[in-house]
Amino acid sequence: MAPGPFGPGGKEGSMGLMKFICDTERCIACNGCVVACKEGNHVPVGINRRRVITINEGQPGERSISISCMHCSDPPCMAVCPAEAIYKRDDGIVLVNKDLCIGCGYCLLACPFGAPQFPKAGPFGARGVMDKCTFCAGGPAPTFSEKEKRLYGQNRIAEGKVPLCAGMCATKALLAGDAEVISKIYAERVAKRGSGLSPKIF
Amino acid sequence: MKKTLVGLFGLLFLAWGIEVLAEVLRNYGPLSPTDTFQEFAGTVLQDWPTRGREFLKLAPSFKRYFLMVVLALPALFFLHFLIFGPKRFSHQGRRVPYYGAFTRVLHWTAALCFVFLLFSGLSVLFAKDLGAGSLVRTLRFVHLLAGFGFFGAVLPLFLIWWKEMLPASYDLSWFLSLGGYLSREKKPVPAGKFNAGQKLWFWLATVGGVVMFYTGFYLYRFEASVSTLRVYLIIHNALALALTAFFLVHLYMTLFAVKGAFRSMINGYKPLEEIKYLHPKFLEDSAP
Repeated sequence: MAPGPFGPGGKEGSMGLMKFICDTERCIACNGCVVACKEGNHVPVGINRRRVITINEGQPGERSISISCMHCSDPPCMAVCPAEAIYKRDDGIVLVNKDLCIGCGYCLLACPFGAPQFPKAGPFGARGVMDKCTFCAGGPAPTFSEKEKRLYGQNRIAEGKVPLCAGMCATKALLAGDAEVISKIYAERVAKRGSGLSPKIF
Repeated sequence: MKKTLVGLFGLLFLAWGIEVLAEVLRNYGPLSPTDTFQEFAGTVLQDWPTRGREFLKLAPSFKRYFLMVVLALPALFFLHFLIFGPKRFSHQGRRVPYYGAFTRVLHWTAALCFVFLLFSGLSVLFAKDLGAGSLVRTLRFVHLLAGFGFFGAVLPLFLIWWKEMLPASYDLSWFLSLGGYLSREKKPVPAGKFNAGQKLWFWLATVGGVVMFYTGFYLYRFEASVSTLRVYLIIHNALALALTAFFLVHLYMTLFAVKGAFRSMINGYKPLEEIKYLHPKFLEDSAP
């Protein structure tokens, strides 16, 4: 059986680790992933679960990358959370329990990628509970429930679909799925592209 | 001779030319994905690989330190109480007005706010043990309000007391004898209206309080760069640890170590005998 986007299907306990890869040679900084995520998951105004960063803008060597929660193997946010509201699923997806989160912001200070987001919810500009990329896997609320949709957004993983951002990426720069599968796709691309320059000058 | 010089100069010129060409090619040539990702790392991670990692080690350790302070200090006090017992002074004799009415109101406002700050602050660190969720979220709001209250009470208190709290020459000897609290015998200790320990607590609570207010305000609003906020959080927690320790000492001194000390902050009077032993320089200063 050929491996699907989420690892070799059909076998129990063979679930891969879910990862994102952004192919910087393909990303055109259209911000489609940001908009798709925001619209599809009804993310509150003022916060983005995903953002596009461009280096050397307008110069030779301009490259862009789409960044959200990277679903780390050993998440620093999980290590510092005093409420233990952040947890890691068996398939490597890192999620936050919004019923437990106290909005202290330790996770943002620990995160290398600036992934955790805090909507201004309370009086005097108080932070609400943390919101971040869910890999479109919903949250701890019952799957497909109204509460899950309201708090965390869609649960496309349970539907067998890829996350919205990767699904709609026009250049297919953003890859999401089993780490083994998508890193193979990326490696093949890099090998086929080569360096872009025929024989080395020096 | 001339030919050699021209030849050398020509070689140098050629080397420079090659260097410039290589630089141009490097700039306009393609980047390897590794180069690109390294460049992105600089923009995205910023100082996480150094300061962020330190933060990861430091931030979760405060829970342990607070637990140590909150459990170990009362145990130490209990031992001290068993070994040395409280200092008793006759409350029969003349009473001296010591704290004004306004001062007392400010003190108790600050005290009330401090207790709220302490418990609501600890609730964040021990969120998991409290069940987290909306309870701690509410307590974080209490922390904000109490912070403003404490700041408002401590500021005028600072203006009232700062002169008497300035360090004096005899403060060092008070520290060396630990205010005579490590002995059972009653002996006058070198102290003015406030002893050296009280002075330390005062400066920590006022100046430290302002630092707590400043860092806390930014931590509440989250309107600074992440690397600044990391530093603020560590400062806030470390100072909170010191304040908690001093608060517990303050509490023990006033409730147990000196009999009746608690009442003098309520009615504003201190018995003359207590002043003679614990604040003898106050009598010298106020004597005509």
